[in-house]
Amino acid sequence: TGGHTTEILRLLSCLSESYSPRHYVLADSDKMSEAKIRSFEQKRAETFSKSQFSLDRIPRSREVRQSWISSAVTTLYSILYSLPLTYKRKPDLILCNGPGTCVPVCLSAFLLGLLRIKKTIIVYVESICRVETLSLSGKILYYFSDYFIVQWPDLKKKYPKSVYLGRIV
Amino acid sequence: FRFKDSLAEDLQSADLVISHAGAGSCLETLEKGKPLIVVINDKLMDNHQLELAKQLHRDGYVLYCNCSTLVEMLQSMDLSALKPFPPGQPEKFASFLDKVFGFQ
Repeated sequence: TGGHTTEILRLLSCLSESYSPRHYVLADSDKMSEAKIRSFEQKRAETFSKSQFSLDRIPRSREVRQSWISSAVTTLYSILYSLPLTYKRKPDLILCNGPGTCVPVCLSAFLLGLLRIKKTIIVYVESICRVETLSLSGKILYYFSDYFIVQWPDLKKKYPKSVYLGRIV
Repeated sequence: FRFKDSLAEDLQSADLVISHAGAGSCLETLEKGKPLIVVINDKLMDNHQLELAKQLHRDGYVLYCNCSTLVEMLQSMDLSALKPFPPGQPEKFASFLDKVFGFQ
């Protein structure tokens, strides 16, 4: 969604074509991100002609302020929905930055890793908005990600296993 | 004005920006070097938005207030005290990932 998409596209901006093809996963309710992504990829294709990407949509796992119990159910549904997608794409890397959408995708990849089907490196970059506290996605994925990146020093202190690179968006 | 695709043009021609505390709005404005007053909506937010605004304010990049104090702020503000905002460095992220995967 919105801010998350803008941030993640900035993170992608300096990556080489070694990070290709790129598969974007969006919430089905997200209207605006697709345009931003296409625009980004179009520009990219001007420099890297063989550049490839795809877009997939999954059900949104949780609405803002949705109750715990109903969130657990919808998230479980989203994990189940994500499994065939993650299995099909078998990504080497999952990069995410916090929208609820990323949790089921990462958990499905984590599961495929446990089952020895595919080991995916999960890199989570907490949003620049998070200075003192982690988002809910961050709190969950701190334990499931291979690299957890924060953009402010206070968070590095609170979450010692995280990586601090300064402001990267 | 509801949902323009991009506010870039408007930002470019503005002398002062008054915005909510959304990260995108704040960062886009600061990156264009425009003075920014961030207005916090106490009623709406789960207030994690507040964290960024407070930090940007602590670092001297923005002024901030809430809806009721905006007028007062506009009357008494000193924009010259605001510091220029250094851009983020996605290249550091790229280097980090390259090391993780062994790309050099």
